[in-house]
Amino acid sequence: MTLLDTLFQWFWTAMIFGSIAWYAVLLLYVGYHGGREILQMTKDLSEPSRKEPGDR
Amino acid sequence: MPLAPIDWLIIAVYLTGCIIAGVWMKRYVRSVEDFAVAGREMDINLGVASLAATELGIVTVMYTAQAGFEHGPAGAIPGVLGFLAMLLVGLTGFVIVPLRNAGVITIPELFEKRFGTRVRWLAGLVVILGGVLNMGIFLRLGGDFLVHVTGLPATYTIGGVEVRCLELMMTGLLCIVLVYTALGGMLSVLITDYLQFLVMGLGLVITSVLVLWNTGWTEFISGVWNAFESGTELVQASPAAGEPGKAVTMKHPFNPFESHGVWWVVWQAMLWVAVMTTWQTTIARVLSAKDATTAKKVYRRTSFYFVGRFALPGLWGAAAFLYFASHGGLGSELDSLTAMPAYLRHVVPTGLIGIVLAAMLAAEMSTDSGYLLTWATVIYNDLISPCLPRPLSSKGKLLTVRLLVVAIGIFLVIYGLWYELPGSAWDYLAVTGNIYLASLFALLVGALYWRAANSWGALAAIVLGAVGPITFLVVNAVVPKESQIPAEWAGLAAFIMAFGGLVIGSYLARALGRGYSGPVGKHKA
Repeated sequence: MTLLDTLFQWFWTAMIFGSIAWYAVLLLYVGYHGGREILQMTKDLSEPSRKEPGDR
Repeated sequence: MPLAPIDWLIIAVYLTGCIIAGVWMKRYVRSVEDFAVAGREMDINLGVASLAATELGIVTVMYTAQAGFEHGPAGAIPGVLGFLAMLLVGLTGFVIVPLRNAGVITIPELFEKRFGTRVRWLAGLVVILGGVLNMGIFLRLGGDFLVHVTGLPATYTIGGVEVRCLELMMTGLLCIVLVYTALGGMLSVLITDYLQFLVMGLGLVITSVLVLWNTGWTEFISGVWNAFESGTELVQASPAAGEPGKAVTMKHPFNPFESHGVWWVVWQAMLWVAVMTTWQTTIARVLSAKDATTAKKVYRRTSFYFVGRFALPGLWGAAAFLYFASHGGLGSELDSLTAMPAYLRHVVPTGLIGIVLAAMLAAEMSTDSGYLLTWATVIYNDLISPCLPRPLSSKGKLLTVRLLVVAIGIFLVIYGLWYELPGSAWDYLAVTGNIYLASLFALLVGALYWRAANSWGALAAIVLGAVGPITFLVVNAVVPKESQIPAEWAGLAAFIMAFGGLVIGSYLARALGRGYSGPVGKHKA
C-alpha cells in the first residue's frame, strides 16, 4: 500500500465515521427545530389576514 | 431474518402517520403558489429536512451501495464532490440567490424573462424528458430492495391468480404518495419529508452501526484491500437463462482516481455543481425558502449530508461484498445491486428490521413525492400554461397540477416495469439527469451572469446539451456491451456542447442582428 493509499484510507475513515456522527446530530437538532418551524408555518398559513399569494 | 409482528407494526404506524400528516396539509392550499412552493414559507431546518429527505431515496441507497460493492469506500467520491459543490454554492450564493430573488416557481420561467417564451417552453420540455426518465427506475430499484430485505418471494399465488410482489408493493406505495402529494402539494411534501427525515436518519445510523459491529472496522479495511489485491471475483446472477453471469471484482477501494478514472471524477465534479444549481427538485427548496439568505443556510447545513448519502450505503455495499465472498458467492439470484439488501437481511435483527424498512420506505416516499410534485409543476407552469389562450381559474390550475401528479405516477408504474438498465444505476441516473443538467446549467449561468447571451445561444445550448446523453441512452440500448459509450464521455460532451452552443449561438445572433435578450439580473417579480 502506497502513502497515497494510506492517506485515502484515513480520509474515508473520517468520512464514514463523520457521516454517522453528523446524521445523529442532525437527527436531534433538525428534529427539534424543524418541528417548531412546522408549527410556525401552519400558524402563518392559517392567518386570516394572509394576502392571497399571486396565482400563476 | 423474517419480519416479526413488531416490524409490521412499526411500518404500519409510520405509513399511517405519513398519510394523516400529508392529507392534513390540504387545508392550507389556496393557490398554485401554495401548492408548488409552500407559499414560500419554508424556514431553515424544515428546508434541511426536506432537501435531505428528497435527495435520498431507496434508489440512492441501491446505487450508492452498488458503487460501494464495486469500488469500496472510493465509491463514495460523488458524495464528497456533491458536498463540496453544495457548500460552495451555499457560501457564495452562486445562481441560487438571483434565482430565489427572481420570484419564479420553476427555472424555465426565469428563461422567459431573459430569452423569450420559446426558450422557456423548450427548456421545460428538456427538464421533463430528463427528469421523468431519471425517475423511471426509482420504483423498480426500490422494489428490488424491499423484496430482498424482507425475503418475500417474487410471486404469490392467491386463488389461482399469480401476484407479483415487487410490482404490487411499489404500486401500493406510490398510491399512498400520490394521495398526499396530489392533495397537499409542497406543503404535504414538507411535512412528510420532515417525518421521513427523522425515520430515515434513525434507520441509516442504526444500520451503519450494525454493519460496522458485524464486520469490524479493521477487518473491513483489510478485507476490501485484500479483495482488491487478490482480484476476488463474485459471479452475478445471469440476466437471461442459459447465459453465464458476469463476474464482478473490487476495484481500488481507496483511491477514487484509480478506481473510477480521472475523467469520470472530472465529469462528476462538473455534474455536481450543475446539480446544486440546476436540479429542479433541489432548486424547488430554494424557491420555497422564505428568502435567499434562508436558501443559502439550508444549502450549507445540508451539504455534509451528501457525504453520508454515498458513504453509508457504500459501506453496506462493500460489507456485502466481503460477506458474500466469504459465504460461497452471490448464488443464482443476486447481483451487485441486490447483494446489499440480501446482506442486510442477515445482519439486522428482528425488531430493528422494521425500523430499517420504515426508514427505506420513508426514503422512497419522500423522494417520489418531491419528484412527482416538481415535474408536474414544470409541465403545468412551463409547457401548458404558456400555450393557453387565457389563464385558468385558480381551481382549474390546481386541478390540472393534481391530475399531472397522478399522470406521472401512472407513467412511472408502466415505465419502471419494462425498462432494463444498460449499465450501472448511478451512470443511468447521471446521464438521464445530464440531458437537461448541462444545457440548463449553461443557460442559467448565461442568463444570470453573461450580458451577451441571447435566445439563439440558449436554443443551441438546450439542443446540443441534450444530444450527448440521448445518444448514450439510444446507442447503449442497441449495441453490445463492449461497444458502448462510456458514461463520462457522454456527460462531459454534454457540458462542452451546451456551453459551446451558448457562446457560438449568441455571437452568431449578434453578428446577424437577431436573437432576443432580456435584462440581466433584474428579475424581481
